[in-house]
Amino acid sequence: MNEQEVKLSLRKWIIEKNGKIQSEDLKPDTPIIEQRIISSLQIMDLILFLEKLRGNAIDVENLKPGVFRTIDIIYSNFFKGNPNGKN
Amino acid sequence: MEKLCEASRRDYANPYDLKWPETLDQNQWCFSPELISIYGTDVYDKLSEADKKRLSFYEAVNFFSLNIHGEKPLSEGLAHRLYSKRNISLSPYLHHFLDEENKHMIYFASFCLRYAFKIYPDKKMSIPQEYVAGEEDFLFFVKVLIFEEIVDIFNIRMSRDERLVPIAREINRLHHRDESRHLVFGREIVVSLFKEYKDQWSKETLQKIRIYLAQYLLATWKEYFNPEVYKDLNISDAYDLTDRFFDSPVCRTRRIEISANCISFLLKNGILEKEPSL
Repeated sequence: MNEQEVKLSLRKWIIEKNGKIQSEDLKPDTPIIEQRIISSLQIMDLILFLEKLRGNAIDVENLKPGVFRTIDIIYSNFFKGNPNGKN
Repeated sequence: MEKLCEASRRDYANPYDLKWPETLDQNQWCFSPELISIYGTDVYDKLSEADKKRLSFYEAVNFFSLNIHGEKPLSEGLAHRLYSKRNISLSPYLHHFLDEENKHMIYFASFCLRYAFKIYPDKKMSIPQEYVAGEEDFLFFVKVLIFEEIVDIFNIRMSRDERLVPIAREINRLHHRDESRHLVFGREIVVSLFKEYKDQWSKETLQKIRIYLAQYLLATWKEYFNPEVYKDLNISDAYDLTDRFFDSPVCRTRRIEISANCISFLLKNGILEKEPSL
Protein backbone atom coordinates (compact mmCIF):
# COMPACT_ATOMS: atom_id res chain seq x y z
CA MET A 1 0.00 0.00 0.00
CA ASN A 2 1.25 3.49 -0.76
CA GLU A 3 0.95 6.48 1.58
CA GLN A 4 -2.35 7.66 0.13
CA GLU A 5 -3.94 4.22 0.40
CA VAL A 6 -2.80 3.76 4.00
CA LYS A 7 -4.13 7.17 5.05
CA LEU A 8 -7.41 6.57 3.24
CA SER A 9 -7.87 3.21 4.97
CA LEU A 10 -7.10 4.82 8.31
CA ARG A 11 -9.62 7.61 7.69
CA LYS A 12 -12.34 5.11 6.79
CA TRP A 13 -11.59 3.02 9.86
CA ILE A 14 -11.66 6.02 12.23
CA ILE A 15 -14.93 7.35 10.77
CA GLU A 16 -16.54 3.92 11.07
CA LYS A 17 -15.32 3.34 14.66
CA ASN A 18 -16.38 6.82 15.82
CA GLY A 19 -19.76 6.56 14.17
CA LYS A 20 -20.54 10.28 14.53
CA ILE A 21 -17.75 12.34 12.98
CA GLN A 22 -18.38 13.83 9.54
CA SER A 23 -15.80 13.00 6.90
CA GLU A 24 -14.94 16.69 6.35
CA ASP A 25 -14.15 17.13 10.06
CA LEU A 26 -11.40 14.50 10.02
CA LYS A 27 -8.19 16.00 8.63
CA PRO A 28 -4.76 14.35 8.45
CA ASP A 29 -3.71 16.55 11.41
CA THR A 30 -6.89 16.24 13.51
CA PRO A 31 -5.90 15.10 17.05
CA ILE A 32 -7.95 11.90 17.22
CA ILE A 33 -7.06 10.91 20.79
CA GLU A 34 -7.13 14.41 22.30
CA GLN A 35 -10.54 15.09 20.75
CA ARG A 36 -11.78 11.64 21.86
CA ILE A 37 -12.57 10.67 18.27
CA ILE A 38 -10.89 7.39 19.20
CA SER A 39 -11.26 6.32 22.85
CA SER A 40 -8.63 4.65 25.01
CA LEU A 41 -10.66 1.42 24.74
CA GLN A 42 -10.40 1.54 20.94
CA ILE A 43 -6.62 1.81 20.87
CA MET A 44 -6.24 -1.97 21.00
CA ASP A 45 -8.49 -2.21 17.91
CA LEU A 46 -6.45 0.51 16.23
CA ILE A 47 -3.17 -1.34 16.89
CA LEU A 48 -4.62 -4.54 15.41
CA PHE A 49 -5.88 -2.61 12.39
CA LEU A 50 -2.42 -1.06 11.86
CA GLU A 51 -0.81 -4.50 12.16
CA LYS A 52 -3.21 -5.78 9.52
CA LEU A 53 -2.32 -2.89 7.17
CA ARG A 54 1.43 -3.29 7.79
CA GLY A 55 1.34 -7.05 7.56
CA ASN A 56 3.36 -7.45 10.75
CA ALA A 57 3.13 -7.00 14.50
CA ILE A 58 3.85 -3.73 16.30
CA ASP A 59 6.16 -3.75 19.31
CA VAL A 60 3.76 -2.30 21.83
CA GLU A 61 5.90 -2.42 24.95
CA ASN A 62 7.05 1.18 24.99
CA LEU A 63 4.32 2.87 22.98
CA LYS A 64 2.86 6.15 24.28
CA PRO A 65 -0.56 7.53 23.25
CA GLY A 66 1.22 10.36 21.37
CA VAL A 67 2.19 7.97 18.55
CA PHE A 68 -1.51 7.81 17.61
CA ARG A 69 -2.13 11.57 17.79
CA THR A 70 -3.14 12.15 14.14
CA ILE A 71 -3.40 10.23 10.88
CA ASP A 72 -0.16 11.87 9.67
CA ILE A 73 1.68 10.94 12.87
CA ILE A 74 0.37 7.38 12.77
CA TYR A 75 1.62 7.07 9.19
CA SER A 76 5.07 8.36 10.00
CA ASN A 77 5.40 6.16 13.11
CA PHE A 78 4.16 2.89 11.70
CA PHE A 79 4.50 2.98 7.92
CA LYS A 80 7.04 5.52 6.67
CA GLY A 81 10.29 3.66 6.13
CA ASN A 82 8.88 0.66 7.98
CA PRO A 83 11.50 -1.92 7.06
CA ASN A 84 9.34 -4.91 7.94
CA GLY A 85 6.00 -3.67 6.76
CA LYS A 86 4.40 -4.46 3.46
CA ASN A 87 3.47 -0.87 2.55
CA MET B 1 -14.32 -7.67 55.80
CA GLU B 2 -12.82 -9.67 58.66
CA LYS B 3 -14.43 -12.85 57.29
CA LEU B 4 -12.73 -12.28 53.92
CA CYS B 5 -9.39 -11.67 55.65
CA GLU B 6 -9.83 -14.88 57.66
CA ALA B 7 -10.62 -16.85 54.50
CA SER B 8 -7.55 -15.40 52.78
CA ARG B 9 -5.35 -16.39 55.72
CA ARG B 10 -6.87 -19.89 55.69
CA ASP B 11 -6.20 -20.34 51.95
CA TYR B 12 -2.76 -18.72 52.08
CA ALA B 13 -0.66 -20.37 49.36
CA ASN B 14 3.00 -20.42 48.45
CA PRO B 15 3.10 -19.99 44.66
CA TYR B 16 6.49 -21.70 44.53
CA ASP B 17 5.02 -24.95 45.88
CA LEU B 18 3.25 -25.68 42.60
CA LYS B 19 4.65 -28.80 40.90
CA TRP B 20 5.46 -28.02 37.29
CA PRO B 21 5.89 -30.84 34.75
CA GLU B 22 9.16 -30.48 32.82
CA THR B 23 7.34 -30.47 29.51
CA LEU B 24 3.77 -30.21 28.37
CA ASP B 25 2.40 -32.67 25.86
CA GLN B 26 0.68 -30.48 23.29
CA ASN B 27 -1.46 -33.41 22.24
CA GLN B 28 -3.60 -32.82 25.33
CA TRP B 29 -6.22 -30.20 26.16
CA CYS B 30 -4.91 -27.14 27.99
CA PHE B 31 -8.16 -25.17 27.59
CA SER B 32 -11.70 -26.49 27.52
CA PRO B 33 -12.60 -26.85 23.83
CA GLU B 34 -16.05 -25.27 24.34
CA LEU B 35 -14.35 -22.14 25.72
CA ILE B 36 -11.88 -21.76 22.84
CA SER B 37 -12.49 -18.38 21.21
CA ILE B 38 -13.38 -19.83 17.81
CA TYR B 39 -15.19 -22.98 18.98
CA GLY B 40 -18.21 -23.62 16.76
CA THR B 41 -16.91 -21.65 13.76
CA ASP B 42 -16.31 -23.27 10.38
CA VAL B 43 -12.55 -22.75 10.77
CA TYR B 44 -12.53 -24.59 14.12
CA ASP B 45 -14.66 -27.42 12.83
CA LYS B 46 -12.22 -28.05 9.98
CA LEU B 47 -9.18 -28.37 12.27
CA SER B 48 -7.80 -31.83 12.99
CA GLU B 49 -8.07 -33.13 16.57
CA ALA B 50 -4.33 -32.54 17.01
CA ASP B 51 -4.62 -28.92 15.82
CA LYS B 52 -7.61 -28.32 18.08
CA LYS B 53 -5.49 -29.45 21.03
CA ARG B 54 -2.54 -27.33 19.86
CA LEU B 55 -4.93 -24.36 19.60
CA SER B 56 -6.10 -25.08 23.15
CA PHE B 57 -2.49 -24.66 24.29
CA TYR B 58 -2.17 -21.21 22.64
CA GLU B 59 -5.61 -20.21 23.96
CA ALA B 60 -4.40 -21.10 27.47
CA VAL B 61 -1.28 -18.97 26.92
CA ASN B 62 -3.50 -16.11 25.73
CA PHE B 63 -5.86 -16.51 28.68
CA PHE B 64 -2.99 -16.46 31.16
CA SER B 65 -1.35 -13.54 29.30
CA LEU B 66 -4.49 -11.41 29.35
CA ASN B 67 -4.85 -12.19 33.03
CA ILE B 68 -1.32 -10.93 33.68
CA HIS B 69 -2.09 -7.74 31.74
CA GLY B 70 -5.34 -7.27 33.67
CA GLU B 71 -3.74 -7.91 37.04
CA LYS B 72 -0.79 -5.52 36.59
CA PRO B 73 -2.90 -2.32 36.59
CA LEU B 74 -5.17 -3.93 39.19
CA SER B 75 -2.18 -4.39 41.51
CA GLU B 76 -1.05 -0.80 40.85
CA GLY B 77 -4.54 0.47 41.67
CA LEU B 78 -4.77 -1.60 44.86
CA ALA B 79 -1.33 -0.45 46.04
CA HIS B 80 -2.29 3.15 45.30
CA ARG B 81 -5.42 2.82 47.47
CA LEU B 82 -3.69 1.17 50.46
CA TYR B 83 -4.06 3.40 53.54
CA SER B 84 -5.60 6.29 51.64
CA LYS B 85 -7.90 8.17 54.06
CA ARG B 86 -11.06 6.68 52.63
CA ASN B 87 -9.69 3.13 52.46
CA ILE B 88 -8.03 2.71 55.88
CA SER B 89 -10.66 0.22 57.05
CA LEU B 90 -10.37 -1.76 53.80
CA SER B 91 -6.59 -1.90 53.85
CA PRO B 92 -6.18 -5.20 55.75
CA TYR B 93 -8.14 -6.90 52.96
CA LEU B 94 -6.42 -4.90 50.22
CA HIS B 95 -3.15 -6.45 51.45
CA HIS B 96 -4.56 -9.94 50.84
CA PHE B 97 -6.01 -8.90 47.49
CA LEU B 98 -2.66 -7.51 46.37
CA ASP B 99 -0.76 -10.54 47.66
CA GLU B 100 -3.10 -12.92 45.86
CA GLU B 101 -2.95 -11.02 42.57
CA ASN B 102 0.83 -11.16 42.71
CA LYS B 103 0.68 -14.94 43.17
CA HIS B 104 -1.72 -15.33 40.26
CA MET B 105 0.71 -13.52 37.98
CA ILE B 106 3.45 -15.92 39.11
CA TYR B 107 1.27 -18.92 38.16
CA PHE B 108 0.26 -17.45 34.80
CA ALA B 109 3.70 -16.20 33.79
CA SER B 110 5.36 -19.47 34.84
CA PHE B 111 3.02 -21.44 32.58
CA CYS B 112 3.52 -19.09 29.62
CA LEU B 113 7.30 -18.84 29.93
CA ARG B 114 7.95 -22.51 30.73
CA TYR B 115 5.88 -23.95 27.93
CA ALA B 116 5.42 -21.23 25.28
CA PHE B 117 8.57 -19.21 26.08
CA LYS B 118 6.54 -16.03 25.77
CA ILE B 119 3.69 -13.94 27.09
CA TYR B 120 1.44 -12.44 24.42
CA PRO B 121 1.88 -8.64 24.54
CA ASP B 122 -0.68 -6.27 25.99
CA LYS B 123 -2.23 -4.00 23.35
CA LYS B 124 -4.36 -1.92 25.68
CA MET B 125 -3.38 1.62 26.52
CA SER B 126 -4.77 4.08 29.04
CA ILE B 127 -5.02 7.79 28.41
CA PRO B 128 -4.87 10.21 31.35
CA GLN B 129 -8.18 11.96 31.92
CA GLU B 130 -10.03 14.18 34.40
CA TYR B 131 -12.57 12.60 36.76
CA VAL B 132 -15.37 14.04 38.88
CA ALA B 133 -15.53 13.09 42.58
CA GLY B 134 -15.83 9.33 43.08
CA GLU B 135 -15.65 8.50 39.37
CA GLU B 136 -12.07 7.22 39.31
CA ASP B 137 -12.53 4.92 42.33
CA PHE B 138 -15.85 3.64 41.02
CA LEU B 139 -14.48 2.95 37.54
CA PHE B 140 -11.41 1.23 38.97
CA PHE B 141 -13.43 -1.21 41.09
CA VAL B 142 -16.21 -1.84 38.55
CA LYS B 143 -13.68 -2.56 35.78
CA VAL B 144 -11.84 -4.97 38.08
CA LEU B 145 -15.15 -6.65 38.85
CA ILE B 146 -16.19 -7.02 35.19
CA PHE B 147 -12.79 -8.41 34.25
CA GLU B 148 -12.78 -10.89 37.15
CA GLU B 149 -16.41 -11.98 36.73
CA ILE B 150 -15.69 -13.10 33.17
CA VAL B 151 -12.36 -14.71 34.01
CA ASP B 152 -13.94 -16.57 36.92
CA ILE B 153 -16.46 -18.36 34.68
CA PHE B 154 -13.53 -19.70 32.65
CA ASN B 155 -11.70 -20.66 35.87
CA ILE B 156 -14.68 -22.52 37.33
CA ARG B 157 -15.40 -24.48 34.16
CA MET B 158 -11.76 -25.35 33.50
CA SER B 159 -11.00 -26.31 37.10
CA ARG B 160 -13.72 -28.98 36.76
CA ASP B 161 -12.78 -30.16 33.27
CA GLU B 162 -11.12 -33.57 33.58
CA ARG B 163 -9.93 -33.45 29.98
CA LEU B 164 -7.41 -30.71 30.83
CA VAL B 165 -3.76 -31.34 31.69
CA PRO B 166 -3.49 -31.28 35.51
CA ILE B 167 -1.31 -28.14 35.67
CA ALA B 168 -3.84 -26.10 33.65
CA ARG B 169 -6.69 -27.33 35.85
CA GLU B 170 -4.75 -26.56 39.00
CA ILE B 171 -3.92 -22.98 37.96
CA ASN B 172 -7.60 -22.39 37.19
CA ARG B 173 -8.59 -23.92 40.55
CA LEU B 174 -6.13 -21.81 42.52
CA HIS B 175 -7.21 -18.68 40.70
CA HIS B 176 -10.89 -19.33 41.26
CA ARG B 177 -10.36 -20.03 44.97
CA ASP B 178 -9.01 -16.49 45.48
CA GLU B 179 -11.27 -14.82 42.92
CA SER B 180 -14.41 -15.99 44.67
CA ARG B 181 -13.40 -13.76 47.62
CA HIS B 182 -12.34 -10.89 45.35
CA LEU B 183 -15.76 -11.00 43.70
CA VAL B 184 -17.60 -10.80 47.02
CA PHE B 185 -15.46 -7.80 47.96
CA GLY B 186 -15.77 -6.26 44.49
CA ARG B 187 -19.57 -6.50 44.37
CA GLU B 188 -19.88 -4.88 47.79
CA ILE B 189 -17.56 -1.99 47.10
CA VAL B 190 -18.97 -1.33 43.62
CA VAL B 191 -22.55 -1.11 44.94
CA SER B 192 -21.47 1.01 47.88
CA LEU B 193 -19.52 3.50 45.69
CA PHE B 194 -22.33 3.67 43.15
CA LYS B 195 -24.95 4.40 45.83
CA GLU B 196 -22.72 7.04 47.37
CA TYR B 197 -21.97 8.95 44.17
CA LYS B 198 -24.71 8.35 41.60
CA ASP B 199 -26.87 11.23 42.85
CA GLN B 200 -23.88 13.56 42.98
CA TRP B 201 -23.01 12.87 39.35
CA SER B 202 -24.70 14.83 36.59
CA LYS B 203 -26.91 13.01 34.09
CA GLU B 204 -24.15 13.48 31.49
CA THR B 205 -21.50 11.93 33.76
CA LEU B 206 -23.73 8.96 34.57
CA GLN B 207 -24.49 8.49 30.90
CA LYS B 208 -20.79 8.73 30.00
CA ILE B 209 -19.93 6.10 32.65
CA ARG B 210 -22.62 3.74 31.35
CA ILE B 211 -21.44 4.06 27.76
CA TYR B 212 -17.85 3.56 28.86
CA LEU B 213 -18.72 0.39 30.80
CA ALA B 214 -20.58 -1.10 27.85
CA GLN B 215 -17.52 -0.39 25.68
CA TYR B 216 -15.23 -1.79 28.37
CA LEU B 217 -17.15 -5.08 28.37
CA LEU B 218 -16.73 -5.35 24.62
CA ALA B 219 -13.03 -4.42 24.79
CA THR B 220 -12.51 -7.02 27.53
CA TRP B 221 -13.93 -9.70 25.26
CA LYS B 222 -11.79 -8.61 22.31
CA GLU B 223 -8.68 -9.69 24.21
CA TYR B 224 -9.94 -13.26 24.05
CA PHE B 225 -9.69 -13.12 20.24
CA ASN B 226 -5.97 -12.71 19.64
CA PRO B 227 -4.66 -12.91 16.05
CA GLU B 228 -1.25 -13.93 17.47
CA VAL B 229 -2.89 -17.16 18.68
CA TYR B 230 -4.27 -17.92 15.23
CA LYS B 231 -0.91 -17.07 13.63
CA ASP B 232 0.81 -19.50 16.01
CA LEU B 233 -1.47 -22.19 14.65
CA ASN B 234 -0.47 -21.17 11.10
CA ILE B 235 -3.98 -20.03 10.26
CA SER B 236 -3.61 -17.68 7.31
CA ASP B 237 -5.35 -14.26 7.19
CA ALA B 238 -5.32 -14.18 10.99
CA TYR B 239 -6.25 -10.48 11.20
CA ASP B 240 -9.23 -10.70 8.83
CA LEU B 241 -10.38 -13.87 10.52
CA THR B 242 -10.16 -12.33 13.99
CA ASP B 243 -12.83 -9.78 13.05
CA ARG B 244 -14.93 -12.49 11.44
CA PHE B 245 -14.65 -14.79 14.46
CA PHE B 246 -15.54 -11.96 16.84
CA ASP B 247 -18.63 -11.04 14.83
CA SER B 248 -19.83 -14.61 14.29
CA PRO B 249 -23.17 -15.47 15.96
CA VAL B 250 -21.77 -18.55 17.69
CA CYS B 251 -18.99 -16.54 19.38
CA ARG B 252 -21.38 -13.73 20.29
CA THR B 253 -23.82 -16.19 21.86
CA ARG B 254 -20.98 -17.57 24.00
CA ARG B 255 -19.94 -14.07 25.13
CA ILE B 256 -23.53 -13.30 26.14
CA GLU B 257 -23.88 -16.57 28.05
CA ILE B 258 -20.58 -16.13 29.93
CA SER B 259 -21.25 -12.45 30.72
CA ALA B 260 -24.86 -13.05 31.84
CA ASN B 261 -24.24 -13.05 35.63
CA CYS B 262 -22.05 -9.98 35.45
CA ILE B 263 -24.51 -8.03 33.30
CA SER B 264 -27.42 -9.07 35.47
CA PHE B 265 -25.56 -7.70 38.53
CA LEU B 266 -24.87 -4.39 36.76
CA LEU B 267 -28.50 -4.07 35.62
CA LYS B 268 -29.98 -5.09 38.98
CA ASN B 269 -28.01 -2.37 40.73
CA GLY B 270 -28.81 0.30 38.15
CA ILE B 271 -25.17 0.62 37.10
CA LEU B 272 -26.24 -0.20 33.55
CA GLU B 273 -29.71 0.70 32.33
CA LYS B 274 -29.91 -1.65 29.38
CA GLU B 275 -28.24 -4.80 28.10
CA PRO B 276 -24.97 -3.84 26.43
CA SER B 277 -24.41 -5.00 22.88
CA LEU B 278 -21.85 -7.77 22.88
